[in-house]
Amino acid sequence: MEFHKVLVPVTGSEADVEALRLAIRLAKKEKGKVWSVYVITIKRALPLDAEIKPEIEKADGIMDKMESIAEEEEEYEVDTDILQARDAGPAIIDEAVERGVDLILMGVKYKKRFGQFSLGSVVPYVLKNSPCPVILYHQ
Amino acid sequence: MQTTPWQPKPGDRVFRPRRIKRFRLRRVLGIPAVFSAGYGNVGSSIYYALGIVALVAMGATPVALGIAGILFIFTALTYAEGTAALPEAGGSASFARHGFNDLIGFIAGWALMLSYIVTISISAFTIPPYLGFFWEPLKDSAAIGTLTSMGIVFFLMLLNVIGIKETSLVNISAAVLHLTTHISLVVIGFVLVFNPKVLLSRIFDNWPAPQNLIIGIALAAIAYTGIETVSQMAEETRKPEQKVPRALVMMIVAVLVVFAGISLVSLSVMTPQELASDWSRDPVAGIAANLPLVLLRDVLKPLIAILAGAILLIATNAGLIGISRLAFSLGNHRLVPPVLSRIHPRFKTPYISIILFSVVAILILLPGFFEANVFENMGALYAVGSLLAFMFAHASIISLRLRRPDLPRPFKLGGNIRVKERELPLTAILGLCALTVIWVIILITQPYSRWVGLAWMVVGVIIYYFYRKREKLPFLEAPEGQASQ
Repeated sequence: MEFHKVLVPVTGSEADVEALRLAIRLAKKEKGKVWSVYVITIKRALPLDAEIKPEIEKADGIMDKMESIAEEEEEYEVDTDILQARDAGPAIIDEAVERGVDLILMGVKYKKRFGQFSLGSVVPYVLKNSPCPVILYHQ
Repeated sequence: MQTTPWQPKPGDRVFRPRRIKRFRLRRVLGIPAVFSAGYGNVGSSIYYALGIVALVAMGATPVALGIAGILFIFTALTYAEGTAALPEAGGSASFARHGFNDLIGFIAGWALMLSYIVTISISAFTIPPYLGFFWEPLKDSAAIGTLTSMGIVFFLMLLNVIGIKETSLVNISAAVLHLTTHISLVVIGFVLVFNPKVLLSRIFDNWPAPQNLIIGIALAAIAYTGIETVSQMAEETRKPEQKVPRALVMMIVAVLVVFAGISLVSLSVMTPQELASDWSRDPVAGIAANLPLVLLRDVLKPLIAILAGAILLIATNAGLIGISRLAFSLGNHRLVPPVLSRIHPRFKTPYISIILFSVVAILILLPGFFEANVFENMGALYAVGSLLAFMFAHASIISLRLRRPDLPRPFKLGGNIRVKERELPLTAILGLCALTVIWVIILITQPYSRWVGLAWMVVGVIIYYFYRKREKLPFLEAPEGQASQ
């Protein structure tokens, strides 16, 4: 399979870094492009364009880290973007549709809910609705 | 991997409007989603508006709703032009800020806040009577009913401060439930009980005094609360200049047809006296309880109780969300103190405005313990706020035509008259005049809404004055980019 356009949604976890590295390696083979996005979810009691400074600063910090890892360790330029949305899942799919990506690559943390391993709500939504193949990187 | 193209679902409300680094807006809502949200909001009001109008308009309830419906068309058209030209949160407050200045923008926004707060109170106040099917004291006891309503507002306040996720399923289900219930009731009513002779005799034998008819028309405005919701959603809509006006027109048609049907069916199954007494707070339950077939009654009564309870709970919550967003928007434009826009460090919600306005909504419910006509008073208080906001919307659209004739207007109202080389929309002028007359009559005839409404506005202007003075901002500041015009 060839992956010319890869989307890497991130949340700031360690798994994201490995997912990004993997995405870069896959894209490099085809001289492709990698986009990384962070989604700030906005509660319904706020307008969608509400600027929540601590959230934006946190997102900026995560995207700066992603850019520096890509540049310094992989010598590759990654496009990063911060989005605001009501829910992360549809925002990621919307981004994938708009960019016409060939692959979504996501890092997955080991999370437990009620004593059971849980993927949360975003990953299942992306798996269900993705227009392209999805690879999960589980650390 | 999904084989069919992914589409955001109506009611999903999952949007990606803003790329902070690039400052590029991206909106994903389409007409169905905007229509669903709008109808979901407007549709819930029939569960109480019918009873409030019947309290004063008696036999002329369908007529009052019909005349208010015409004014609703004018107002919705005004919102269509305004929202298409200025697709941002804030509705009439936003139009007034652009059309006049910051002070007028604040007054329109503050009036809108009043109508949102009363919407919260009224919606919460009508939940217990509907649930009274399961436990009668909820309907019969003023103390238990009012206490339950206050508890509902308090509960929703906590939920919104924490900021629980409202799934898309809730939005879609609410809109589908509204339409299905309403259409079913209208169809069943027309098939089983509609009799033009009976209906006409009930209307004309119980025709109210002219003053009551006018108050009934004003109170009927409460049935059309959702215009602002659609306007608020403009900032989340793809191509809002095209889609919001279309969604508004669709909503006008659906709402007018359904409301006309339900009001006619209500007077077909019961007399205006029954509607205005036994069923004033739960008129739709009254329709179900008075249907001729026992089987239908047995099925519909609990169904309506559950549906209405759930829908009104969602409507109460929507009011709380609406006012929080509005307060945040006004705060962003420095029209209200920034404390109302303060966001909780952990929950990321505007907790101060949520708590403050919930407390005001609970205070408005207080007279429910001891006053007999509290429901009518709340309706009139709502009318004072909403009519003022609608009046400013009309006036602002006219003002924008005069002051900014070259403003791009993707949806422009037809039927204009020319004054000094400017085109002025006739529907906005008629709407403004009619609403002003009704608003003045409400103020003259309804002492509770007059004093509470005016006190709210005066307190607001005082807060605005001291806030602007402290921030060293001019009292009447023209919007950006308009100073030179």
